[in-house]
Amino acid sequence: MEDGMNERARETLELAYRMSNLLKTGLDRSTLAVVMALTEQGVNPEALAAVVKELRREAAALRSVSFSSAP
Amino acid sequence: MGSKEVSALVRELVYRLLPSKSELEQGGADRAGRLDAIAERAYNYAVRIFGSRIVPSIINDEGAMAESIKRQLVLQGRSSDALAFADLHRRFSAQIGPGCVENKWALLYVLRSLAEDQRRENAETRGIAGSLTSTLSGPASHGGLPALPAPLDRTGPCDNLSPPKSMVVSNGQMLKVQNYGSTSFPSGGVLILSKDTENAKASAIREFVELCQEESEISEGALVRDVLYACQGIDGRYVKFEKELDGFIVDEAFRVPRATRMLVRKLCEVGWLFRKVQQHIDESIKQGHMEEIGTVGQAFCASLQEELSDYYRLIAVLEAQVHNPIPLMSVGNKVENYLSLRRLLVWLAEPLVRMRLLAVLVDDCKGLKGGAMAGAIHMHAQHGAPIVRSIMARLLVRVCSPLFEMVRRWVLEGELDDIYEEFFVVGHPVKAEALWREGYRLQSGMLPSFIPESLAQRILRTGKSINFLRVCCDDHGWAEAARDAVAAASNSGNRGGLGYGETEALEVMVVEAARKIDGHVLKIMYDQYRLRDHCLAIKRYLLLGQGDFIQYLMDLVGPDLSQPANTVSSFKLAGLLESAIRASNAQYDEGEILDRLRVKMMPYNDGDRGWDVFSLEYILRDPLNTIFTEAVMANYLKVFNFLWRLKRVEHALSATWQTMKPNCSLARLFTSSGSAEKSQVAAILRRCQTLRNEMNHFVTNLQYYIMFEVLEYSWAKFLEEMEDAQDLDDLIAAHERYLTSIIEKSLLGERSKLLCKTLCSLFDLILRFRALADRLYENARAVQARSDSSLRKKLERELFLSNTSRKAASMDFTVEFLKGMGDEMDGVAAEYSSLFEGFIAQLPVQQHVDLKFLSFRLDFSEFYIRQHMNMSTAPLKLKRTPIKASRSS
Repeated sequence: MEDGMNERARETLELAYRMSNLLKTGLDRSTLAVVMALTEQGVNPEALAAVVKELRREAAALRSVSFSSAP
Repeated sequence: MGSKEVSALVRELVYRLLPSKSELEQGGADRAGRLDAIAERAYNYAVRIFGSRIVPSIINDEGAMAESIKRQLVLQGRSSDALAFADLHRRFSAQIGPGCVENKWALLYVLRSLAEDQRRENAETRGIAGSLTSTLSGPASHGGLPALPAPLDRTGPCDNLSPPKSMVVSNGQMLKVQNYGSTSFPSGGVLILSKDTENAKASAIREFVELCQEESEISEGALVRDVLYACQGIDGRYVKFEKELDGFIVDEAFRVPRATRMLVRKLCEVGWLFRKVQQHIDESIKQGHMEEIGTVGQAFCASLQEELSDYYRLIAVLEAQVHNPIPLMSVGNKVENYLSLRRLLVWLAEPLVRMRLLAVLVDDCKGLKGGAMAGAIHMHAQHGAPIVRSIMARLLVRVCSPLFEMVRRWVLEGELDDIYEEFFVVGHPVKAEALWREGYRLQSGMLPSFIPESLAQRILRTGKSINFLRVCCDDHGWAEAARDAVAAASNSGNRGGLGYGETEALEVMVVEAARKIDGHVLKIMYDQYRLRDHCLAIKRYLLLGQGDFIQYLMDLVGPDLSQPANTVSSFKLAGLLESAIRASNAQYDEGEILDRLRVKMMPYNDGDRGWDVFSLEYILRDPLNTIFTEAVMANYLKVFNFLWRLKRVEHALSATWQTMKPNCSLARLFTSSGSAEKSQVAAILRRCQTLRNEMNHFVTNLQYYIMFEVLEYSWAKFLEEMEDAQDLDDLIAAHERYLTSIIEKSLLGERSKLLCKTLCSLFDLILRFRALADRLYENARAVQARSDSSLRKKLERELFLSNTSRKAASMDFTVEFLKGMGDEMDGVAAEYSSLFEGFIAQLPVQQHVDLKFLSFRLDFSEFYIRQHMNMSTAPLKLKRTPIKASRSS
């Protein structure tokens, strides 16, 4: 039972990951798992998408600043 | 539970998405130090966004979402990817059960929205990379997060609804702006590299169309046509009514995407509701029986029909639009029809609301009729939404028009125009005298809630008054009164047209009509039927107001009434009544009134005397017997019997006085003669006198109380109320109050039964005393006669010595007899005083009537109270003596 569930979960994640890749969302497997878990918790997908975008932007900003200030 | 898990997940998300520490340390330690702060802020930001209750702005529909993603992939020219995605999605959505994703739609949405974002990012970084990244990261470098997604991002969720006019597409290495319109889209600084554009676009569209057609056998136009049929309750070619599901659905035999299927089902709700309403109308009008529906039901159906005709008009317009192409909206060379299923959804939204209301009404009104139906619709009209209110008002105006017509005819003409039992006034066939009280009744079930109870009562009374005038009074003057009322009502602003929502106008009309007609009724009662005269006559004859007449009557019928009841002839009594009238002042009364006065013999038992069965009655005919009903006359009879009894007791006491008076000299003779026997007789006679006096005091004061405190007072009040009476009901109530107050105050009511019983036994005792006193005086006179002829007796004694012993014995017997009488008298006196004391003691207990004056008059010198005190304190004194004794010792 437990095994079947885990198996199915893995399969679902795999399918979702492949769809994600197809759509070029740029999410890695573990992040996608977190996102899936959040949607399962009933989080508003619109809000979730906005948050992911913002975090990415933040990360990009951090990186660019750190790289530009490094030299 | 959820929030904790969510916060953990959010933290995880934050750490995954932000660059790791080690990555940053390459840049500089201080940057790495700032990471924690930024991460914390980002976390708070995310939690705040999740916490806000934003509702997804698009419909939760997994199929439509997948469609949209596929279409986008196709539009980007990645049809192979689209197919792959379709395959993946099919497998993905096939997964059901524990361990797999429930909220598939949400996940798809996130993926799609992120994909779009990434794509845009790519385009930006490649096109105008430098400037855009710097502007985007600008706010971030100042330590703040950028504002929420700019309008560009917002287009995401919307573009699955309408095909985008233009779109930035990345196709492998190559960037271009595709333009589906005819004009070229200004690229705004985006570098356009074009490489066999036409080919890729055409092939992509072709593939998409094929994809769509593959999924659905039926074209959208056909479906739209069928849906429009379904909206009229007709089965189409594809969309049919399913009995088991109780709704219109696309036939299972045709392959149609699930999204479309759902949409069609949603659209066809209107059709289902329409069928329901139509069915109701058909059942009611075409096959139904009129008795079950009634005029109000008919009006309801007619107004439903009218609402439906509006709906038909809309459907006709939509049908005409089906084949018109959309102006300026053509995708490639394929021309789309103006009406798509989605457009139809918008068009039908408002009719759906209306049809729902109608269906609810149809459900609610099933089995109702008349006023009840109008009331039920009125309840629905109590609604905040203006659309609902306006529909209901429109319906109610029509539905209520038969009702208001009924009210109008009833109030102004007294006609109960109600063959289907819909009106809230119901008539019962009754005899003329009960017409007012029982002839008509309010039926609360049929009273619609917009007519208040008080107004309904008024309506009832007005029509009743008209009928009363017509049936009982034979009067036709009411028609004039009603005409006046109509004129007055129409002068006061409305033109006699009544309808729903004009309750005030209705009230004005009813009040006006009621005033006129009630006034007319009272006038007829007073003038034509001389109500006042009859009330006065009843007071004078039945309530013994005419003193001399009663005195004569008592004198005349007294000897006859002493006979046993079965030997008394009522004809003889009637003759005696006649002579009593002629002998007294009553002879000057009008013949019409005197004719109504009759002798009435009540049913008697064995041993009853004439006194017990004799009574007077006053005959009243239509329409006065509406006020003086049989029950009222029975009450009058009760009061008459009581008063008659009281009068008789008083009469008896004064008769006793008559027997006693000539014996004063006789009594003096007894006392002066000095003989022991004789003085004993004198003492008895004296006691008799005292007792009579005591009784006389009681009876006189009681009579005074009844006459002045009860009868005259109530009469004066009744006259006042009669003046104030506005309608017949007021008059009846006033009269009833008058009679009740007389009964209560004369101690005849239910609550003073005990007192009344005591009073009756007192009366009986007094009558017994009267007989006793009569016998006593007869014997006393005999004794005196004997002593007067004492000389003759002495001679006799000498002549007939042999008889002496017998004479002495007879003398002894007389004295013995007198002694016995004295003892009996003492017994009566003792019984009287105990009864009387009981009566006095009970007087203050009667809380409901004011008997203060009676008890005050009866016990003016506080004689009885003192007597009572002496008796009650006597044992107390006995108790006290030992205390005194102990103190003195």
